[in-house]
Amino acid sequence: MSPMGEQGGTVSTFPLQLDIDGDTLASCVACGMCLPHCPTYRVTGEESASPRGRIALMRDVAERGEADAAFVEFMDACIQCRGCETACPAGVRYGHMMEITREALAAQTRYQPRLRRLAYRVLGMPRLLGFGSRLLGLSQRLGLMRVLSLLGRVRPFRQLDAMTASLPRVPVRQAPLTASGDDVWLFTGCVMDAWMRDTHRAVQSVIEATGAGVALPPAGAACCGSLHLHAGLASDTRRLARKVMAALPGDTPILIDSAGCGATMKEYGHLLGTEEARRFAARVQDVHEWLAARVDELPANDAVAPDAGGPGAGSGAQRPRIAVQDPCHLRHVQQAHLPVRTVLSRFFDVVELDDDGLCCGAGGAYSQQHPDVAAAVRERKVAAIERTGTSVVASANPGCTLHLRAVGLDVRHPLEIVAEHLKGAGD
Amino acid sequence: MASEDDSADAALLAGLRGVLGERARDNDFERGLYSRDGSIEGSPPAIVCLPETAVEVAEIVRICRRHGRPFLARGSGTGLAGGAVPVGRPVVVATAKMDRIVEVDTGNRVAWVEPGVLNLDLSRALTPLGFHFAPDPSSQQVCSIGGNIANNSGGPHCLAYGVTTAHIAALEVVLPSGETTTLGGVEAEPAGLDLRGLFVGSEGTMGIATKAAVRLTPNAPSVRTLLLDFDDVSEGSAAVSAIIAAGLVPSALEMMDQRAIEIVEAFAHAGYPTEAAAVLLVELDGLPGGVEAGVEIVREVALKHHVGHVRVAADDEERALLWKGRKNAFGAVARIKPDYYLHDTVVPRSRLTEVLEQVYRIADAYDLIAVNVFHAGDGNLHPILAFDRREPGVDERVKAAGRDIVAASIEAGGVLSGEHGIGLEKRDYMGMLFSAHDMYTQDVVREAFDPDGFANPLKVIPTGSRCSDSFHQHVPEGAWV
Repeated sequence: MSPMGEQGGTVSTFPLQLDIDGDTLASCVACGMCLPHCPTYRVTGEESASPRGRIALMRDVAERGEADAAFVEFMDACIQCRGCETACPAGVRYGHMMEITREALAAQTRYQPRLRRLAYRVLGMPRLLGFGSRLLGLSQRLGLMRVLSLLGRVRPFRQLDAMTASLPRVPVRQAPLTASGDDVWLFTGCVMDAWMRDTHRAVQSVIEATGAGVALPPAGAACCGSLHLHAGLASDTRRLARKVMAALPGDTPILIDSAGCGATMKEYGHLLGTEEARRFAARVQDVHEWLAARVDELPANDAVAPDAGGPGAGSGAQRPRIAVQDPCHLRHVQQAHLPVRTVLSRFFDVVELDDDGLCCGAGGAYSQQHPDVAAAVRERKVAAIERTGTSVVASANPGCTLHLRAVGLDVRHPLEIVAEHLKGAGD
Repeated sequence: MASEDDSADAALLAGLRGVLGERARDNDFERGLYSRDGSIEGSPPAIVCLPETAVEVAEIVRICRRHGRPFLARGSGTGLAGGAVPVGRPVVVATAKMDRIVEVDTGNRVAWVEPGVLNLDLSRALTPLGFHFAPDPSSQQVCSIGGNIANNSGGPHCLAYGVTTAHIAALEVVLPSGETTTLGGVEAEPAGLDLRGLFVGSEGTMGIATKAAVRLTPNAPSVRTLLLDFDDVSEGSAAVSAIIAAGLVPSALEMMDQRAIEIVEAFAHAGYPTEAAAVLLVELDGLPGGVEAGVEIVREVALKHHVGHVRVAADDEERALLWKGRKNAFGAVARIKPDYYLHDTVVPRSRLTEVLEQVYRIADAYDLIAVNVFHAGDGNLHPILAFDRREPGVDERVKAAGRDIVAASIEAGGVLSGEHGIGLEKRDYMGMLFSAHDMYTQDVVREAFDPDGFANPLKVIPTGSRCSDSFHQHVPEGAWV
């Protein structure tokens, strides 16, 4: 559980230039209000796994111009949920500092090994990603993953075991989506389209239920670059961002159904620093934000038969109860978690978790790279969900959904739940 | 010298590793992280220990003794008086991993908890049972029960409910000798001297609490929160005394000045009136009839003191938002300057106005910014001096201003600390309040627990308060005292 791992022996340092400006580094007064809102501090109780601690370490490295392996581990152990930013009374831009740190590590050290860089690159190649995903799905069905897992016991492939164990079951075949108009773009992304296209299908049907037509992005808008940004590969993100922007010209709103993608695409202006990027970013909305402004255009709840399908549908006035798990990049980064409730509460009784939006441990690729910490963080989330006594959980991010499903929870995208409910009403 | 230190540290580390494995740390980064708390002081420990059980804590203490090394306990590291700042390369015993609520005993109305349990987590866990833990420091969401015990912490609601010592029934502690014992008891009146009462507030100088029986306070059936704004600070502070004089004891009675209102509003967006000179946050709880009558009394008193508006929070959400602002005020100071020095003195309520004026004058004289947000109901001032430590010479100005504020408070009939403790920050001011005999007596009491000065040495009681050859506190060579 320790982020430190083994210790002892001589500590070897290496030069590291961390270009975080002095005012930003000084903006943390170390009051500690962030600690309980940091998932890694929560499960370790260690300063080095807290935002306050990490900022102090960044300050130290920025001043000394050198770091060591321990520093890299401490920085790598951050899930980048940014729950600390919501909690911070001083408005410290922690996420920004962590992105600069990761970028410096990736550029100046072997923080991101070549194999991992290649894996990230595949995310921007839809055909290769699709092919690989089908292969993965097939392997899972043929029991080949067991072989990989066994291989993982051998030293050079040690990580494979945990990785294969935490992968979701990937579909082999998915029907294509069909465009229905040009009122909005529905951004489909990389892994989500390859693994969870049915979620897009449900989202599209809810958008269409308001009477709007949905355009689907051309191949150029393959990946938003979010995972790259978190890994310190910001130049890859910028390259992908330019492709996405070129593929989605005009003024049409761009709707996102993955909180992580939306958070990154809203940052394109800051990332690229151009007027064009700022204009593009202003068109980006989480799909719930767009729907919340048009919630009256969705079918009224009383049109839904009381005995209609949908989770927990009861009789009479009893509305089904749905627990909402806020993806961090929706709640803490985009601050767009309330619209999810606006949409859901048209049809359901929304049940809140009592954990102040603490991260679930998914963190994009984090749960693959730090399975132990991710699982420990998830335990807290599972307990919070259990305390609600609600069996169906809505979560608007594919990473959280997969991570929580892996322990047997019924987690779905909020609009999948709505789509199913509407379908039940229409039958 | 350095190599001697290093080999002594290495032997100590080997001993601690034998108990804790990799949870005994000596790398520079982590020693740096545990070198400071929420105050402005800092110096690194030799080793950081992260125990998970009381047995491990006792082992750590015994190993430290064998190696002649002092130790100090640390909770969440939010203390504001430097109580958890290591002095003289001690071993830090961080209790954050000991965070279990062991047993909730509603029959005796106590809960047994480990010291690393966070204050707000405890109250939240008790909510479904209809109870809470009454002391609620501003850092409630992050401060630990162990830290609350060490500092005898207060909080806005301690005006009516009393500070931490009133809410601790019993303590399991590891004494500086390494023995484990229980002080106090859950029964109504434990026999003998109240050693529990002595331990609470001793700032880690009498041992390390490893488990506490905290008292459960029933949640009030009715709560009302009012926000009163004033054009004049003195009208606001006069209203504080007048509310108490009218026979009310609100559960909380807080004051913020204009600068505090501005920074708090920027964070919380609670609708605090940023143009007001001062606001009072008044909370009343109890049975609905009594609470409503209290609201009217507060309203009448406030009107006599030329209140601008009387805002009564409509629901729990609005109440929570108002408190969110108040409880994050200190951290939010970073919106003005990156560092702050927060004082904690208590003055008689009737002298609030004049001491506040003095605080502003002192800050002006040292070219510093003073922000005031405090527990007005019990006269507990919290003047915040905001500064940027990168400005040359500012440290000296801040410390001098702090000293003047303490002197002014004591002159007005006040005391050194309301709830943050003495720690390192106010240790050397003890002589302003206590006679040499007073301090000698306090040191004799401390010595009864820790004759060899192993537990959080060089804190609270100034060195030299006793004849040096009978004063056994460990003073390592080169230590900063």
